[in-house]
Amino acid sequence: MEYKITSEDKDATYVVLPAYNEATRIQPVIEAIAEKGYNLVIVNDGSSDNTLDVIMESKKKYPNKMHVFSLMVNRGVGVATQTGFEAVLKFNPKYIVSMDSDGQHSADDLDEVIKPLVTGRAQAVIGVRPLEDMPRSRNYANAIMNLLTRIFYRVDVSDSQTGFRALTVDALRKITINARGYLISSEFIREINDNNIPFEEVPIKTIYTPETQAKGTNVVVAMKILIQMIRDQF
Amino acid sequence: MFLYAFIFPLLSIIAIIWFVFRYKHGKNSLSTVIVWSAFWIFVSLFSVFPDFSSIFARLFGITRGLDFIIILVFVILFYTVLKMYFIMDNMQDNLNKMVKEVALNNEITLEDEEE
Repeated sequence: MEYKITSEDKDATYVVLPAYNEATRIQPVIEAIAEKGYNLVIVNDGSSDNTLDVIMESKKKYPNKMHVFSLMVNRGVGVATQTGFEAVLKFNPKYIVSMDSDGQHSADDLDEVIKPLVTGRAQAVIGVRPLEDMPRSRNYANAIMNLLTRIFYRVDVSDSQTGFRALTVDALRKITINARGYLISSEFIREINDNNIPFEEVPIKTIYTPETQAKGTNVVVAMKILIQMIRDQF
Repeated sequence: MFLYAFIFPLLSIIAIIWFVFRYKHGKNSLSTVIVWSAFWIFVSLFSVFPDFSSIFARLFGITRGLDFIIILVFVILFYTVLKMYFIMDNMQDNLNKMVKEVALNNEITLEDEEE
């Protein structure tokens, strides 16, 4: 029989949301996650718009479900996620999820993403986006990044650039993330592999809008990640 | 004698005094003073005795002294850019640690927002 995620499982799960200039998009993301009964750790990455105000508006609705931290200056998605991963340890979680805050990931996938962790099948999960839904430019960049992740980090995954990932607290304590920007996705996979943490790939839905496409891994970002990967070899 | 034969030794003396002055105030290490003093002494020698560069050029299998100086300048520039990159990278890391630490120690509550 298929395991059903319980409210205890949800209470033990914290979703980390790094947010940079997401004032127009983050509120439905936060509220969808909180409505499902999950806890949130939100890190405002030095946004120059009113992202923090929008987050605090949501906190008024879910004061016990949300923890908010704010970086004084913008340091990149990698540093914001690292901050979220460190902050979450204060709340004794069992399972930690990180998602994008721009609305490209669906809170409906959370149950499926944490299921392998709760049932003990895996200690880490990578949410895999369907290739056919991906815009062509993003698809090429992703294919390049998967290849580079295979070459530099010797890990073969279907989606190396996904921002939807989950892991147990034990796995989180084992890994070390140093990436400042989008390299975090590949670095996360490398750390999982290097620490022999059993992981699963779980298919997720992706909602692409012109705004979500403007962020994430495009060819320019892929080039920057390549330079960082080469630098990491030394 | 060309004008540069006067200008470069003068510049070299100023540069060496500047490095020694910084060393005395603890702003750079003794090795930095030695390396940069050696560099400026060579610059002075090359400008006063242009043929001097040919001796070094032949040592490295380069035919003309001027080519040797151009290559040397490129090497120094590359080294300086690389060193600046590592210094900047280190500063970025320190900044990230500091920004993270401040954020982690200051969880934002609704009371903060009201203030």
